[in-house]
This record gives sequence, structure tokens and C-alpha cells, in this order.
Amino acid sequence: MMASPWLGVLDDTIQACGAHARPDLVERLRARRAELAGPKVRVLVLGESGQGKSQLINGLVNAPVCAVGDDVTTSVPAIVQHAEAPAGAIVTGDDARNLEGPGRVPTPVESVTARANRDTGAVRAEIGLPRKLLETGLALVDSPPIGSPASQHTHRTLAVLPQADAALLVSDATKELTTSELDLIGRVQRFCPTVAVVLTKTDLVPGWRRVAERNRARLQQDGLPATVIPVSASLRLAAARSGDKALNEESGYGALVRYLHQDLMGHVDLLRRRSVAALIHMTVEQLGAPLRERLAELREGGTDELTARWRAAGHRLEELQRESARWQTVLSDEVADLIADLDFDLRERTRRILREAEEYFEVADPAKDWPEFEGWLRENLRSVAETNSDWLLDRFEWIARKIARQVAPRSGDVLPEALLDAESRDHIGDLRMPNVERFSLGQKLFVGMRGSYSGLLMFGLATTLAGMPLINPISIGAGAAFGAKSVFEERGARLKRRQAAAKTAAHRHVDDFFLTYGKQSKDTVRLIHRELRDRCTAVAHELRAEIADTAKRIKQVIDAETAERGASARELTRAIEQLNLLYRRGHALATTQAARGLTA
Amino acid sequence: MNLPELTWSLLSRALDAYADSPRATNWLRGHLARFTEPLRLAVTGPHGSGRSTLVNALAGEVVANGPEPTRHHVPASRSQPELTLIDTPPVDAEGADPGSLERICLEADAVLHLMGHPHNADLSFLRTVQDHPVARAAPVNALVVLSRADELGGGRVDALISARQVARRYRRETELAGLCQDIVPVAGLAAQAGRTITEAEFETIAALAAVPKAELEPLLLSADRFAADEARAALLSRFGLFGVRLATTLVRGGVDSQAALAAQLLQRAGLSELRDAITRYFTDRARVLKARSALIGLEVVLRMEPRPAAAPLVTELERLLAGAHEFAELRMLAALNTGRARLPDGLKDEALRLIGGYGDDPPSRLGVAGPEPQLRQAALGALRLWQEYAENPVLGAAERRAALTVVRSCEAMAMAPGL
Ligand SMILES: Nc1nc2c(ncn2[C@@H]2O[C@H](COP(=O)(O)OP(=O)(O)OP(=O)(O)O)[C@@H](O)[C@H]2O)c(=O)[nH]1
Ligand SMILES: Nc1nc2c(ncn2[C@@H]2O[C@H](COP(=O)(O)OP(=O)(O)O)[C@@H](O)[C@H]2O)c(=O)[nH]1
Ligand SMILES: [Mg+2]
Ligand SMILES: [Mg+2]
Repeated sequence: MMASPWLGVLDDTIQACGAHARPDLVERLRARRAELAGPKVRVLVLGESGQGKSQLINGLVNAPVCAVGDDVTTSVPAIVQHAEAPAGAIVTGDDARNLEGPGRVPTPVESVTARANRDTGAVRAEIGLPRKLLETGLALVDSPPIGSPASQHTHRTLAVLPQADAALLVSDATKELTTSELDLIGRVQRFCPTVAVVLTKTDLVPGWRRVAERNRARLQQDGLPATVIPVSASLRLAAARSGDKALNEESGYGALVRYLHQDLMGHVDLLRRRSVAALIHMTVEQLGAPLRERLAELREGGTDELTARWRAAGHRLEELQRESARWQTVLSDEVADLIADLDFDLRERTRRILREAEEYFEVADPAKDWPEFEGWLRENLRSVAETNSDWLLDRFEWIARKIARQVAPRSGDVLPEALLDAESRDHIGDLRMPNVERFSLGQKLFVGMRGSYSGLLMFGLATTLAGMPLINPISIGAGAAFGAKSVFEERGARLKRRQAAAKTAAHRHVDDFFLTYGKQSKDTVRLIHRELRDRCTAVAHELRAEIADTAKRIKQVIDAETAERGASARELTRAIEQLNLLYRRGHALATTQAARGLTA
Repeated sequence: MNLPELTWSLLSRALDAYADSPRATNWLRGHLARFTEPLRLAVTGPHGSGRSTLVNALAGEVVANGPEPTRHHVPASRSQPELTLIDTPPVDAEGADPGSLERICLEADAVLHLMGHPHNADLSFLRTVQDHPVARAAPVNALVVLSRADELGGGRVDALISARQVARRYRRETELAGLCQDIVPVAGLAAQAGRTITEAEFETIAALAAVPKAELEPLLLSADRFAADEARAALLSRFGLFGVRLATTLVRGGVDSQAALAAQLLQRAGLSELRDAITRYFTDRARVLKARSALIGLEVVLRMEPRPAAAPLVTELERLLAGAHEFAELRMLAALNTGRARLPDGLKDEALRLIGGYGDDPPSRLGVAGPEPQLRQAALGALRLWQEYAENPVLGAAERRAALTVVRSCEAMAMAPGL
């Protein structure tokens, strides 16, 4: 056989199957290639039950080799081919797809199909006959009837379909082609493009010519290129028995034999091309479908989720930017309020102390009661300082939480805690005050502050008194040494003077305290304010940096993925293009020279 | 009360409940009126399956030859009770209105569905026919006809024998058996010819039969050959090749009169068997099938126009369907006849008789002719006997189930007031 162009295309297709990791297809195509490279031409005879498929073949070989019956008869395919002497065999095994199979049991040719049809282990029957018709390599394949898609008979016939080089759809002349038969022709043509319709039993009904005409019209209307060949097996067999040439001509078998002999066997190369084209078509479809699916998937994009996250991060950043301006203002306002409140509180409390001090010295004699008063005053001022500073701390804690919520609106309470507890400062054991402990942020400052107001109380008072010799207990003691009388006489006036001096001293002391503590307190507020602001700024910054980073990373992933998708899409498109090229080459095989062969 | 009586009363109550709905009232009145009309039998099937031919064969004259649907009344005869035959449009018509066929089926009490070899048949129409709450309860209104049975056997004279074998195989197994009561092969064209054969046709056939075999046989090889002569072509179109082959063979075999040939043709074309089946499953049980149609009609009203006043009717309809022994009896009758259900030899015949297979009236069922006490006695006797069968462990489970159906038939008779 001369080198055929279709072999090259088929080999390329097999290679493509390999490249697409489809070893199953490779195997199937290789097997089919071997068949196509050989001389045999398999013609599958198929159709619904009782249409006369088996009898049709009997008529062709003029021998009752295929079992015929009125009820469903054929249950396994039977291949009728050339042999030097009549021979039959039943093939058993499980690979029904292969027409050449393993277990072969030689069986008398007259009964081989009847037995194979009954034998549950049989997968097909093989019949060899010395016939001129078959000498050229023609093999006729009888098949079980096509029926419900689920039936084993249907399945067995469709399984041998891909190995057929041509098909004869058998439909009897008692009715026109049914919808299911037309469907079947369409399906068969996908595997095996060369199909003819054989209209059997023309002896039975007077109207067969009309049925043939209507079938031809219907096939044309449905775009199914298939010749319609009317025959009668009964007449053919009767003609063979009686040797009646006219009857043989009436049987229509002449046209059928001519079709097989000339149209099919005379154009084996075209048959091959068509088969290969169909094979390539289906293979390309099978290989291409998942590619096209993936491509569509890629094109539809799949970064939706990522893009959404990226956008969200962008929004978050903008939001944080807006928030930062807002919380700064809030913080300043709050601190200003705090300072004013603290100042008012301090003023109020010291004023009350002073009032009490004055009342005290209305009666008390500083000379005698000063130490008691001094103790009292110290205790009261300490309490004022403590309360006031506690308040300061409480307020700051509250402010910190409030601001924290604005700085990191979505971080819940995590941030305030971080703000408040961030750094555990070194405590100075003795001076630690219970309330200060709560506010570790301001701890150091407060420790300092407390130190300073205790110091103030310790020394400030003494210093103040140091500048007031009259009230000095020592001077009082010295005063007493002037003489009891004068002391006594002057007691009223002197007491008054002492009392006035003590009042002034208390005043000055409290004022000093007010000024000094007030300044310290304000400094502390400012310090904490600054610290809080810095801390919040840092946190906000960190947060922004983090989100910006996330956004950047998402963007990178998106970009990378998009790039990758682009690359994959290009690759897929190229692969699909290659398959399309194969398809076009296959198609060209079937169409060139079609004009001068196998007219449908 | 039996099913027809219960159905009648249910329909009357529905008339009250729907007194204000003219549409429902009309519909229900129609169904009540149908009770007394002859059984309506629709002949369905795909295009060219021979529906019209079969209608003609059953009618005994060419009544259906135009576009379907056509309705034809067939008066009672010796071999066939009164019937209304309905020729229908093909079930596989492309672009046809599916609703129209459904209406025709709603109009019919029973269906003869035609098909070729069941292997190639599309069962979807039969499935739709049985896909209705009432129909599902009892698929008792359908017979399948293997039509053009002569072609199933290649037009040979013995074609019907093959066709009967195919029918036998399918009536026992397969889905088809669950969709119909029985499957009967008929060569409709030959049957029609048998019923309408003319004297002239008989003469032509007799003349053909007289032609020497060696001369006649080549003529009968194909329709084309036989139709080469104009007179023969006319005969062919009336009888079909099978009909001609059969008729000439019969005449050669000694059938010498038009009437005898006609009778033989009906027998051999399967028409007699079909008429028997129609009688056994349909016309003998016309009242049950009428009740069935009426219940389907009632179900339609209850579904389309639901209303509180009708709620008890819905419940009662359901109860009636679940308990209707008449349907079970009909299914059992078919099952025993087709071999889907089995009973030991002696029992099968008696069971068939008791469930009305040989006549629906109590004397036929009981096999006793006599006054009421005697009938009741017989019914009680049969009841006891069959109760024993139903509990006899020697019988298989399926057989005991069959016996139980017979028990219920006996109970109904023993308890019937008028008997
Ligand atoms: N009159 C007539 N009958 C035929 C012809 N061909 C087949 N038959 C009959 O049709 C029936 C079925 O024939 P088969 O050849 O067994 O049909 P099949 O298509 O192989 O049937 P399955 O094996 O069931 O699929 C048999 O009764 C044949 O005698 C014919 O050309 N003319
Ligand atoms: N051989 C044969 N032909 C039949 C039979 N019944 C009908 N026909 C033919 O089939 C064709 C269609 O028949 P018809 O009754 O019109 O079928 P419908 O379309 O179903 O009504 C006609 O040509 C009939 O002569 C039959 O039993 N045997
Ligand atoms: Mg066969
Ligand atoms: Mg018609």
C-alpha cells in the first residue's frame, strides 16, 4: 500500500494525545491505526430488532450463517469475512471492543451464531467463508439490535461501532424511518461517517417505493448524507435457491453488492480518510473540551476574591487616614477639658482646706496647737493631691480607651490594653501608690509627681514657717520667757496676732502647694498627653503600614496570578489552535476527492 | 356497596358540593351520564401502526379512513358486546398538541395501544396513560396490541404463531406487563379483510387457489409480483400479502365458503383473540371501568376546584381507591391469564371463575344456578376453602397472595345483600 497522507495526520493526533497525557486515547488510536493500516474494511450492519439485519448478511453471502428469528435474536456481534474454507468460531472474553480477541472456540459455521447468541460467555462470533465479495477484504459485521440505551444489546453494538469503516443502517419497508432511527444515523455518523440505509423486506409491502422516497427526502431534510438501498432478502435467497437471475435483480441485492463492491471497496483510501477524519474530529473534541473549559474559566477571571480583599484594604487605609485627624483633635479637646477640670477640683479642695484652717485658728492657739494643725494640714493636702491625681489617672485611662477606639476602630479592646499596659516601668517600691499602678503608662511620671508633692509637703511647710519667726514655736517659747505678767496681760492681743500669723502661714503654704502641685499636675498631663499621642500615632502608623503591606502583597499576588493566567491562557489558546489545525487537516482528508467517490 | 355504587354516590355528593360551579356540575353530570353509555374504547398507537385498520376490523365495516379522531358506535353482536370505538391521532405525531391526545384518553374508558415489536416500542405514551392517581391505583384499562403481527413474522402464513410467542414473552416480564393487562398480537389488515370480505373477493381468492402451486408460488413471492395484475393489486391492498397468502392457503386446505373463510381469517389474524380479551377485560367489567373513568373525572374536579365542602370527598376518594377490590380482581384476572401469577393446576381455574373470569354475575362466579340461600351457601363454602389456601404453607407466598384476592371476592359475594 502506498504511503497514505492520513497516516501522518493520525500519527500527529496520537502524539497530541500523548502530549495531553491521555494514554487511554493513545492506546485506542494505536489499535485503530493498526486496523486502518491493514487491508480489511469492516461494514457494520446495525438497526432495531427484527429489521432483517442478520437475514441481509445471509442474503449477501448466500448462506444462512447468521441466525434469523422473529423475536430478538442476535445477542453478540458476528463478523463475516473471507476464508479459504468455511469456518466458524465463538470468541469469549471480556473485551468486547476488540474484534480480534482472546478465547476462540472453533464451531461449525452453520450453527456458530445460534450458539454464540445463546452463550452468555461469548462476546462475538466469527465466520469465514470463501466468497468473491469478501475476497477484497470486506468484512460484514452483524450486530445485536439497538434498543433502550441501557440494554446490553445496544451497548455491545455501540462498542464495535468505532471499529467500523462503514455502516449499513437496516430499516424495514413496512414503515418509514422513525425518529429514533434518524437519531441513530446521526450518532453513527460521528464515529463512522460512511452510512447507507438499507430498506429491507421490500417483498412484503406494495408501498415500499414510497417509503424509500420518503426516507430519502427525510434524510436530506435532516442533513444526513446516506444512500437508501431497497432490498429483499427473501427474494435474494429464493433466487439463489432457484437460480433465477430476474428474481435476483428484483431483490435489489445487485445494487447493494455494487455499493459494497464499487462504492466502498473501490474507494478504500477515501473510506480510510473519512474514518481518520471522524476519529480525529472526536479525538480533538475530547482533548479540546477540557482545554476550552479551562480557558473559559481563566477568562472569567478567578481573582475576584483577592481583588475584593485588595479593595477593602484600600478603603481601610483611607478610613484610617481620616480617623487619625479626628482622634488627634479629640485627644487635645479631652486633655484641655481634663486640665480645666483638674484645676477647678484642686482650687475647690484647697479653698475648703483654707476655710477650715481659718476657722481652726479662730480658736486654736498656734503656739500650742501648731503641731496638730501641721499634721492635719499635711494629711489634707496629701489627700487632695491623691484624689486629684487619681482622678487624673482615671480620666486618662478613659481618654486612652476612647482614643484607642478611634485610632484602631476595628481592633476591639486589644489596642487600649496595649496602650495602657505597653511598658512595664521600673517601680520604685516604697513610693508606689496603689492607684498609680493601674496606669503603667504614666507610672514613671506619677511616681515622680508623687515624689515631688510629698517633698513639697515635707519641706515646703518648714521653709514657709522658717520665714515667720513670730509663730515659731521657739520664739513662742522665747516669748514666754518675757515674764508671766506681761505675757498674761498681753495674751489676748498676742494670741490674736499669733492666730493671724498662723492663718497667713497656712494661706501661703496652701497657695504654694496649689501652685506647685498644679504646675506639676499640668506638666504630668502634658507629658501623658504627649506620650499617649505618640503612642497612638505609632499604633496608627503601624496599623496603616500593616494594612498597606497587606494590600501590597495582595496586589502582588493578583498581578502574579494575572500574569500566570495570561500565560496559561496563551498556552491553552496555542494548544487549542494546534488541535484545530489537526482538525482541519483531518477535515481536509475527508473532503479532498470526495467529489469523485461515494456519492451519498 | 360495590365500587360502581360507591362511585355513583360519591359523584352525586360532589354534584351537591359543586352546585354553584356550572363547569364542575357539567363535567360531573357528563360522567354520571357515561355510566349508562356503552364502553368507550380508544385505539392508540404511533403513525401507521394500523389504528384505523383495527378500528375497521372491530367495527366490521370501513368506518375509520379519514383524519382522526373519529368515534364509531358498534352495536352488540354475538361475538362482541356494544362498544364505542375511538380512532385517535398518532401518539408520535411531530408537533402535535399533547393535550388533545390526553383529552381523548380522558374521554375513553379503556385503551387499545398498538405497537410493533415491543423491543423497538416507545412506552412513554402508556406510561402517561397510567400516570394519574386513579390510574396508578389500578392499571386495568389498557391492552397492548402487537399490531401488523403478520409483518413481525415476515409475512409468512405462520407469522401469528411467532407473534404470539413474542407476546407471551413480553406479557410476563418487563415493564410493559406492568402497564397493561395483556398483550395480544393482531394482523389488522387481514382481520379487516376477514370482516368485510365480499363475494367477489372470495371468488378471486378461490380462483387463485385453483392455480397450480408452481404457478401461484412465484406470484406470492412479493407484493410487487402479485400486484402486477390490476385485480390482484386491488385484492392485495385489501388483504395484504399475508392475507392473500393465508386466504389462498385456507381455500386450498378446504375452506369453501365466504363465511368460513371470513371466520378462519378472523381466527388466524388474531382478531378473535383480541375480541375475547376486550370482552374479558373491558366489556364484561364495563361498570368497573366506567366507575374508574368517573373517579378520574371526579379527581380532576377535586384537584382543579378545591374547596372546603369537598374535602371529605377527597378523603373518601382516596379510601375508595385504596380499598377497591374490583381493581385488584381485574389485575389478578390478567395475572392468572398471562402467567404473571400462578396457582396449582386445579386451583387456577376455580380462582379464575370466582374472580369473574368466566362471567361477572354470582351464579357464573360460583358455578351454581339456584335461589339466593343456595348461592350464599356456595359463597361461604368457597370462602372457607380459599381462606385455607391463603394460609396453607405448602403454597408459595405469591400463590397465597393470589388466594387472598380470591378470598376477598368470596367475602364480597357472601356478604352481598341481594346476591
Ligand atoms: N419478508 C421478508 N422478511 C424478512 C426479510 N428479511 C428478514 N425478514 C424476516 O424478518 C424477521 C427478522 O429478521 P432478522 O434478520 O432476524 O432480523 P434482525 O434485524 O437480525 O433481528 P435481531 O437479531 O433481533 O436484531 C425474520 O422473521 C425474517 O424472516 C425480507 O427481506 N423479507
Ligand atoms: N401488513 C399489514 N399491513 C397493515 C396492517 N394494518 C394496517 N396495515 C397497513 O398499514 C398502513 C397504515 O394503516 P392505518 O390503519 O391507516 O394506520 P394508522 O395510521 O395507525 O391509522 C395501511 O397501508 C394499512 O394497509 C397489518 O396488520 N398488516
Ligand atoms: Mg439478527
Ligand atoms: Mg389512521
